[in-house]
Amino acid sequence: MVAALTLAWISPAVAHATQIVSITTGFSPERLGAPTTVSLGFDVRTPDGSLPSALTGIDFHYPADLGLGTSDLGLATCNPAKAGYYGPSVCPANSIMGSGSALAKFQVSPEVSEESAKIVIVAGPSQHGYMNLLVTATGAYPVKAHILMTTLLEPGRLHFNVPLVSGIPEGPDVAVVRVRIKIGGKLTYYERRHGKRIAFHPQGIKLPRRCPRGGFRFNATFSFLDGSSVAAHTVVKCPRPRK
Amino acid sequence: MLRVAAIAIVMLALAQTTTAQARTLSVRDEGHLHYLTDNATLIVDEGAVSGTIPGTARVSFWYNGSPSVSARFTIIAHGGTLTGIAHCWLSNPNSLTPSFRGHLTIPSGSGRYRHARGSGELFGVFHRRGYSLIIQAIGRLRY
Repeated sequence: MVAALTLAWISPAVAHATQIVSITTGFSPERLGAPTTVSLGFDVRTPDGSLPSALTGIDFHYPADLGLGTSDLGLATCNPAKAGYYGPSVCPANSIMGSGSALAKFQVSPEVSEESAKIVIVAGPSQHGYMNLLVTATGAYPVKAHILMTTLLEPGRLHFNVPLVSGIPEGPDVAVVRVRIKIGGKLTYYERRHGKRIAFHPQGIKLPRRCPRGGFRFNATFSFLDGSSVAAHTVVKCPRPRK
Repeated sequence: MLRVAAIAIVMLALAQTTTAQARTLSVRDEGHLHYLTDNATLIVDEGAVSGTIPGTARVSFWYNGSPSVSARFTIIAHGGTLTGIAHCWLSNPNSLTPSFRGHLTIPSGSGRYRHARGSGELFGVFHRRGYSLIIQAIGRLRY
């Protein structure tokens, strides 16, 4: 996997923005025309190291010529209500599309406490012909929390509304400071052949045979509870031709 | 007088030829196509089609996650080829085999179908494992 170039800046349109966000992306393997696992991540921090504002939304743009639609990920769907209530463990194996982790921080005066959460991405029932992604994040300690986000898989765009999670009573909402996810990867699906249940590994997302000029560009805008929004972008450079 | 008669005979012959060439056909073709190549959001399949105009079909199918999909196809039939394009709507994208349906037009051809014009409906099933396609075209063809 080739490390992605990461850039970030505070949106000049928002004078009071206090968050700095960087995004990372990568393909593994990084081979044009081949199936790959897509890695996505972001980090949120403040210039003075204080607790960032709670994240409320992500508008994520990816190259539309990635083969997300034609991939064999998400061959079954998970009921959003069940996934939201019980967690992704109740979802069919063939609906799992990826996984990852998140790190959140919250104020326990005067200390700042941390909590990690497990992320699972599953396919939900399609809406208006678009594939629907359900992103579940489950944290156990010290705050037991389970959140569900949904987004339509539009060509080149994913939009998430991030629900607020309360920290301690009367305290500020939990701030997400780091997320790392992989779409694809080592997943095991099942199919029926001649009455038998056969396991197989989905191929993942196909990369186009040609690299876009300047590489694969990813952009994201992050919205925060304090009203600020921050844009960030990154580029996965074109792989070197294979010898 | 002879000259006028000769022109009339030639014109009559031409008219008969034109009448003989302009045919309208109700077409119903279908086939199971196998994967040939792809470019992430573009799948190219090929295979035999049977029906009114049997032959070999090559289909380029575009799907980038939007339910609005398109397919460009060429049918290599006996004595000529037919080329067309279809704009379809894909449903059940989470299925192993999403289906699509839409309007097709045949704007061109070659050989015996060089004057071909046609329209109709294209039905299809896209297999997300293996990238095979099942297609059925129903329409009217004038050639």
